[in-house]
Amino acid sequence: MTHAVLKTVNLVKVYSGGAVPVHAVRGVDLVVEPGEFIAVMGPSGSGKSTLVHMLGGLDARTSGEIWVDGKRADTLSESAWALLRRKKIGFVFQFFNLVANMTVTDNVELPALLGGASPRVARERREHLLGALNLTDRADASPAQLSGGEQQRVALARALANEPSVLLADEPTGNLDSRNTRDVLRLLSKVHKDGQTIIMVTHDARVAGLADRVICLLDGEIVDDGRIARRRTGTAGAVIDLR
Amino acid sequence: MSTARAGGRWIRADLRARRGQATLTVLAVAGIVAALITAVTLLEDGTNPWRSLFAQTDGAHVWFYTKDNSAQVAGTRSLDGVTQMAGPYRSAPVTVVRDGKKQPAALRAMPATPPQVAHPVVAEGSWLDPAQADGVVVERSFARALRLRIGEPLAIIALSGERHPLYVRGIADSAEQGFYPAWAPGLAWVLPQTLDRIEPMLGRSEWVTGLRLADAEAAQVVSQRVVVTLDDQVQRLYTWREVRAAMELDNRLLGTLLALFGVVGLVAAALALANAAGGRVLGQLRDLATLKSMGFTAAQVALLLVVEHGALGLLGLALGTLAGWGFAVALLGATSVAPMPVLSIVAGTALVVLAAVGLPAWRGGRTPPIPAAPAQPLRGHLSRLAKLALLVRLPPALVLGSRDAFTRRVPAFLTAFGLAVPMMMITIGLGVWATLDNFANHPDQVGQHAALHVGPGKLESAAAEQLVKADKDVRAVYPAADVNALAAGEGRSVRVRAIGGSADPYPFPVVEGRMYGEPGEAVAGQGLLDLLGVRIGDRVRLTVGGSPLIVRIVGRAIEPDLDGEVLSVGLDSLAPKDSVPPEFYALALKPGADRGEVAARLLAQSSEGLDVQAVVNPADRLAIIRVLIVALIAVLALIGLANLLTASALGLRDHAFDLAVLKAMGLTPRQVMATLVTGTGLLVVLGVAVGAAAGASVVTWLIDLQGHTSGVGAGIGRPPSGLSLSIAVLVAVGTALAVALIPARRAARAQVPVTAR
Repeated sequence: MTHAVLKTVNLVKVYSGGAVPVHAVRGVDLVVEPGEFIAVMGPSGSGKSTLVHMLGGLDARTSGEIWVDGKRADTLSESAWALLRRKKIGFVFQFFNLVANMTVTDNVELPALLGGASPRVARERREHLLGALNLTDRADASPAQLSGGEQQRVALARALANEPSVLLADEPTGNLDSRNTRDVLRLLSKVHKDGQTIIMVTHDARVAGLADRVICLLDGEIVDDGRIARRRTGTAGAVIDLR
Repeated sequence: MSTARAGGRWIRADLRARRGQATLTVLAVAGIVAALITAVTLLEDGTNPWRSLFAQTDGAHVWFYTKDNSAQVAGTRSLDGVTQMAGPYRSAPVTVVRDGKKQPAALRAMPATPPQVAHPVVAEGSWLDPAQADGVVVERSFARALRLRIGEPLAIIALSGERHPLYVRGIADSAEQGFYPAWAPGLAWVLPQTLDRIEPMLGRSEWVTGLRLADAEAAQVVSQRVVVTLDDQVQRLYTWREVRAAMELDNRLLGTLLALFGVVGLVAAALALANAAGGRVLGQLRDLATLKSMGFTAAQVALLLVVEHGALGLLGLALGTLAGWGFAVALLGATSVAPMPVLSIVAGTALVVLAAVGLPAWRGGRTPPIPAAPAQPLRGHLSRLAKLALLVRLPPALVLGSRDAFTRRVPAFLTAFGLAVPMMMITIGLGVWATLDNFANHPDQVGQHAALHVGPGKLESAAAEQLVKADKDVRAVYPAADVNALAAGEGRSVRVRAIGGSADPYPFPVVEGRMYGEPGEAVAGQGLLDLLGVRIGDRVRLTVGGSPLIVRIVGRAIEPDLDGEVLSVGLDSLAPKDSVPPEFYALALKPGADRGEVAARLLAQSSEGLDVQAVVNPADRLAIIRVLIVALIAVLALIGLANLLTASALGLRDHAFDLAVLKAMGLTPRQVMATLVTGTGLLVVLGVAVGAAAGASVVTWLIDLQGHTSGVGAGIGRPPSGLSLSIAVLVAVGTALAVALIPARRAARAQVPVTAR
């Protein structure tokens, strides 16, 4: 077994802002292998989003450990997390979160530039990604001119621009109609087949069905963690199913 | 490098999205900086022409006038501290006639080889030449006022009434006296033999002597020695300080005004900048969070914001510096701009700009990186008053709008304050305007009850008096004389103006104490009180042409002339030798009479024998201030507009959610629009009202303060007229509402997304 892309040890998050402390995540132990596609499920308020935010360093953990690519990350400062995110973590959000004032082109090139790519490399990568996601003709549009599905595809392109170790998706289809949901899911499974590690939060069982491992959270604890047996066409790193 | 590239993209995209607001910011900062630089240039000594003129002419520090050219006068050369002496030159009072107008002038005898000290510097033409005995060289400001050119004839009328044609050989600069007409009479030089021909009577002329000192600061001491040495021979005396002050008077006033507007404007601009940056950051919290989720650190986000908003301010700063520099160079010449103060303004403004954007940028940097997190929840609830308003069926749009106005306390305060400051300055500008109008419309309130001064000229005094009294448009005639009196302790001369009798006084505008009522009483301008260090009720002793003048100051009058260093008395307070016959008559005209007509009529009736002069109103001299006020109001309006756009954008953003709810509750688009406009409009009305009230309450005091320091004296300030102030307020509020209406209308009509931002 190769080393884990992402690992948590007894991860805890307590929101103590209000009158009563809220235990959003209570002692999650999770190991994510390279190339895995994990769906995190659970009812509203079960701590799914909090968990994913902590994995990407958007939210600070209360206690416990987070390891990214074999290095401990929970002790990092906020800016060190930011530097880590540039290279290793891509985010896709429910509401797309494209920078409103920037064109599709700029939105996709921004993380590449930030990651240290030269403008030429950033442009090539963007052209490749937009081509793969079938968005080449929308390159100069602004986010407001795009449909929800298109926006989410751009967001996906942006998240993949730096070929991150892990793609964190927080309800990526939560705001889409069924057709756009299908398109986005198809893309997700395509990049997964190419070897991308994905952790996706969802509460749609059909969406979760696409993943090869489903984790169920309830009140901040993992109550179920199981691999789904799926038919796979042979790809590098694929799990061989025995029926 | 990588961050810079990525950040650059983001900044460019963001600026493109708010071009209008960015342009406003740049223009506002540029306007303020230009005003500040112009102000500092005007205030800086370098613009005062005295310094270079004094150096060019190797000027004398002390000038005094005596009746005779005695050995004692020449003896002042050996006083301690005196290095060189100019003169004594003979000087005769004459009248020059040009285009039918007569102007008083002093004709100065000077040799064909200019002296070493205080030699006029020829600017055009050439110096006097014994081969051309009818040549005259005219001082430059006097020549400009007379529109004289080289080679033109100039008619000179001597005291005897005899007319002598002279030809202008040259136009020269001098540091001996201030510029005409602020300093009258004008100055012209002729050869000694020419002066002897024009004014053969030695008794009608004076002798002028200049002393150059080793140390300019010793002027006061030396002039006192001169007065003591020459005893009663000194007619009048002044030092280089008075000449310098006379040359810089108007520049100082303009500079002070510009500096006041500039400094307050800078505060307003900083506020607008902070407001704009803060508003933009609030509106972009989600984008900033996205940037962070992509890997921007907090410091980088803050830096990004500082660079973006700071760059606008710095661009404005650069443009303003160029404009101010260009303006100063165009107006005052290339050497006028002093680099040090300009540099400190540039550095200071840059600091202010960066400080103004620093706080919002820091706040932006601290945005949590979780994009879905909503901006701080709005605290706002319907107050009891609002509930009551709803109960009595006030339009709900109004109630909701007024609730919205104050949900965000800090931006609400910044918006109202940001509008109040420019409005206050605009009110002050209008007050200055009203004061100038008051000068122009009520010259009697600034000591110019009389519109014309008529000298007997060729006529006998009695005949002249009869003639002016007979004119149908003349309401009152006051016999008058201007004499120079020596204030012994001060070692310099002041003007004593005697108009009318003590029992029937000329209506000087007395603002403190009372009018004089008997011989031996006087009223003085603020400048004189300050100069002599006396107060109302004190006795002062002056020397007029050798005879003492002892008066008690019983009041303070508004005095726009000669920095207020004027003592006004009744003619009967002067010794008969100075007051009989009167030097001139001050004519108060009937209301509605045209002074030009009266002057022309008097000249015609006396066959050009009378010497008629129109009194110069200070408002005419200060006309440039009006241009300045208009320009400053434009800049301030820009600042106000920038604030308004911020407030409007912020209000809209805060209500993106509410709009959907409001519509769902059944508010029509029109009501939604009204809600939004009320939210912004209320702050606007508040800011404008507070600003106008603050401005109106300080404007009189400020102008009076300036009046006090400039010697004119307190009591000239006028608040802006109710009409102009209400128009300004209405225009400000109206424009504000119109500006708020456009985005509100768009928002009310738009399909409102019900999803999170």
